[in-house]
Amino acid sequence: MLTRFRALTVTGAVCASTFLALPNAVAEVEPGGWTSVSPTYTVQERGCGQVDGLTFQLTCSTASGDQRAERRYATYTGGTRQFEGYFRISSLSGTRISLKQTFNESAAGPYFMLAVERGGRLYAVHGGDTLSNAGTVGATVRVNTVHQVGSSHRTYINGSLQHTYSSPGGSFYDKFGAYRTNSGNGPATVVWSNVRFWRK
Amino acid sequence: MSVPVRVAAPTALVLALLLALSACSATRTTGEGGADRRPATARHPVAGKADAASGVVLRAERTTPTDIDLRWQGSGSGASGHVLEFATEESGPYTVLQYLPPSVTNYRHPDLMPNTTFFYRLRDFDGPVSEPVSVTLPKGELTAADEDSSHDWLPARKDPKRTAPGRPLRSTGAGAPTGLKAAVKHANGILFTWTDHASDEAGFLLEARTRTRSAYEPVVVLDPDVNSTGLITLPTEKEASYRVRAFTYGERSNVVRLTTGESTGP
Repeated sequence: MLTRFRALTVTGAVCASTFLALPNAVAEVEPGGWTSVSPTYTVQERGCGQVDGLTFQLTCSTASGDQRAERRYATYTGGTRQFEGYFRISSLSGTRISLKQTFNESAAGPYFMLAVERGGRLYAVHGGDTLSNAGTVGATVRVNTVHQVGSSHRTYINGSLQHTYSSPGGSFYDKFGAYRTNSGNGPATVVWSNVRFWRK
Repeated sequence: MSVPVRVAAPTALVLALLLALSACSATRTTGEGGADRRPATARHPVAGKADAASGVVLRAERTTPTDIDLRWQGSGSGASGHVLEFATEESGPYTVLQYLPPSVTNYRHPDLMPNTTFFYRLRDFDGPVSEPVSVTLPKGELTAADEDSSHDWLPARKDPKRTAPGRPLRSTGAGAPTGLKAAVKHANGILFTWTDHASDEAGFLLEARTRTRSAYEPVVVLDPDVNSTGLITLPTEKEASYRVRAFTYGERSNVVRLTTGESTGP
């Protein structure tokens, strides 16, 4: 499913009306009984990680230790959950930075990690599958994940299915921001916008 | 006029917000004035009429339950290219799928979210280009030393030393970037610098023509006033000609919408 082009976009693609009034109950994304939810979250800053609203920065190039700037959302234990968000990598001098995680709390480890390499290749950290080359610096990229606990986890990049993963049961939570993977390092600045959650 | 990266990001977002505000209102006008307002279904996709202000007619066809093919015509306005955008709600937000050269008139959006309504639209972009530069990168991949070396040259920058008094692109057609230079940084890395002569640009496009392509295609989009950027190349870009374009956005096409069917995948 590798797309051999560098997809491009700009921040101007985001309609301002969305900032002013987000639709609450109706979401035409995989229709079928979705309910909009607003899970609580905590902000996590470790090492050189800094969070300012929806701007997440790793300010150092340190290639070891815990370097993270993230939002950690509330745990869920069943049903189907959908995450939607838009990210723009406004600068990336480092490489292999995780942008979004679905964390398996029962197994005490990240279950799915979407990360970006220098140059914009988006990939799944576990397995290394290339998801898209849409992560070019300056590009606004839309991410949807649909997680049926105990069944499957699907990741859509700009509307297209790029990754499918079987899912165990248990408890999970969503995280997004900028996080140094084991082989990565900053600096990096990632700006997220229009983040929404649904369940059914 | 040099803007540190961490300051540039919010600035870019404000600019984007202003662009988006005008973009959204234009879309509503198009939808209410010309596009087919019937609900779209899998059997009856809606391919709206062209906006009176644009000569481009965009059409969409569902070729499988989860693949949508887009085609357009009437792009003889001399525009430098088109921006293809999509959304899953009519009011947006719209996300750019790709900047496309004028020679491209179709696009496949594959493996889509099932049972979901997609909205598409095109925008013209136009503007003058710099003289091209040819780049041949060293063979092979990055060494470990290359990989671990500083990539401070990579982020886009605005250097006041390479900003000339601006000229409007829209009214004069002038304002082409000059002095484009390419410095090879390693087997996959190039630093491009140029002088900005435009006063009203929406941004810059770095365009490449590889050995297998007959036309230049956009590979990086940059904010206004940027005059340097690094590029990490794809394998096909080891040997290519590059140029940079200062551009503004033009008219919009009609909006088309189409609803996907059930997924046929595993």
